[in-house]
Amino acid sequence: MEYIDGIIIIVGLYVILATSFNLIIGYGGLVSIAHPVFFALGAYTSAILARNFGLPVPLAMVAGMVVALVASVALVLPTLRVSGDYLLIASIGFQLGVLEIIKNVRFTGGAGGYTNIPPFLIRDFGREAYVALVLAVMVAVILLVRLVARSDYGRAMSAMRDDELAFASLGRNAMWMKLAIFGLGSGLAGLAGALYAHYFRFITPEQFEILQSSAILTMVVVGGMRTTWGPIVGALLLEALPQAITFLNLPPSILGPIQGLLFTGLVLVFMFFRPQGLVPAENVWRGGGGETR
Amino acid sequence: MLNATILLQILWTSLATSSYYVLFAVAFALVLKVTRIFNFAQAAIMTVAFYSAFVTVQWLEWPAWAAFVVMMAITLAASFALERIGFEALRKRGVSVMFVFVFTFMVSEFVAYLAMLAFGTWPQTIFPTIFWPVTLVGNIAISAWDLPAIGATIVMLALLFSFMRFTRMGQFMVGVADNPDLAELYGVNKRQIFLVTVLMAGALVAVGMFLYGTRAQVLPQTGLSLMLFAIAATIIGGIGNLAGAAIAAVILGVIQNSSILVIPSEWQGLLLYVFLFLAIVFFPNGLRMPRRRRRFATATRDIGDNQDVSAAEGQV
Repeated sequence: MEYIDGIIIIVGLYVILATSFNLIIGYGGLVSIAHPVFFALGAYTSAILARNFGLPVPLAMVAGMVVALVASVALVLPTLRVSGDYLLIASIGFQLGVLEIIKNVRFTGGAGGYTNIPPFLIRDFGREAYVALVLAVMVAVILLVRLVARSDYGRAMSAMRDDELAFASLGRNAMWMKLAIFGLGSGLAGLAGALYAHYFRFITPEQFEILQSSAILTMVVVGGMRTTWGPIVGALLLEALPQAITFLNLPPSILGPIQGLLFTGLVLVFMFFRPQGLVPAENVWRGGGGETR
Repeated sequence: MLNATILLQILWTSLATSSYYVLFAVAFALVLKVTRIFNFAQAAIMTVAFYSAFVTVQWLEWPAWAAFVVMMAITLAASFALERIGFEALRKRGVSVMFVFVFTFMVSEFVAYLAMLAFGTWPQTIFPTIFWPVTLVGNIAISAWDLPAIGATIVMLALLFSFMRFTRMGQFMVGVADNPDLAELYGVNKRQIFLVTVLMAGALVAVGMFLYGTRAQVLPQTGLSLMLFAIAATIIGGIGNLAGAAIAAVILGVIQNSSILVIPSEWQGLLLYVFLFLAIVFFPNGLRMPRRRRRFATATRDIGDNQDVSAAEGQV
């Protein structure tokens, strides 16, 4: 039962990650690969506050979310001021740089990882309660992103994405909107990180490497960008595949690269042969401007 | 402890090691200039280049020159495939910049995982040893690697420069970089120029990777960080400015190597990301020398420049 609970929680968390990443890259049109680093920041912040400072776990989780949000604004604000094209480059540097810091400072446990994270809910109410919590957060995140995407704000988002100049000339502030989208998406990733930390109770920097970036990106691209169901389908499928591979009992030195090949290979195949993903939305990868509807 | 000899030694060594940084930066800047693609797949080309030399020397036990020839051939073939299968299809489809970003980055990651699977995740070098005999000149140790590396870099840069300056094809490249559609109207074969550009970048990368792999250890992920260094240099040098990228690469290389005097070695890796961030935030249009004296002729041009800047800011 414990195994099944673990899988449900992992899948639930990846649905949160993929859905929030879809908000950033799909609806917002902001290309970044740094999503796992906000996942990591949420996990580490919440774990350290709860273990070293004795903060109640729910408060620590909220703090983890806030730190991820603030860090994402710190990444986006200087970068977007220059040009949206630089965001991807900056995000690669940010991701690797933050992980480098986590590996080298003492209070995060360094490269060996951070252990003994206080559990939450499990002792008093059992594992099922935690599963229910993760699933509830997952549903809330899906509904929230769907609500944002379908509201007036969502229509403004697609206007900004498709033609920023026209959007700005109508007196709307594109910068604010990008900040809000990126902050919200990254904050949700931070929350997922906090939820991860207090269930599995052990985190290491290598869990948040570029392999995770590829995984999350693959979930969104394969599932289908700018759709509610796309990231959910993608996350389910791509979490099920590696689980199936683990049954082959391969040594970890082979398992890691094979998962990486699977994720990146799938993205490439889908980009070439089915760029709209499994759950298609229209005109996903077209360049801005020039579109008539 | 710190004296002139140590300073000179660090300066010399970092100058020598920046040779491959220069080649990587110029390759990246060249592709960006002519094709306008941020070619993140350069990391994949680097990985292919290194491991093809590694296999020829360590597994097949061929001599160094044969390894270099094999490496060059395979790297050029990989560059050819990247342009003809990848970039050309994307260009035809007219996809967004974002698509190209994601595509090239995923190609690099795919190749890195392939290398991990085939060669493992431990560091490798082209030759069994990376220690080179040292001669003392004055009090400064000059290794047998230093001078050939600097020489090879200068030869490659001279070839590139003469190609772009004096050959017909090179001038077409500049034309395509400036305005691809206009160049095509004048009868320039855009498709061919793009291919030549990507192949030349591949040749630069192959030489650079041969230098790197004979002096430092390489992991499947090394290509990515070497490429980030090249990107930082390209941005600081000013996009479209090959000489700027080369000079920026030397400066960054010297800073990174001499930082060992002030920063503990475990933090040196972080320096690269700091460079990258500073480049994007503070020098997005490249580093420009401040102009002190304005003569009339340059003053009018400056006004033009300023207008460009304010127009660019208006877009943000």
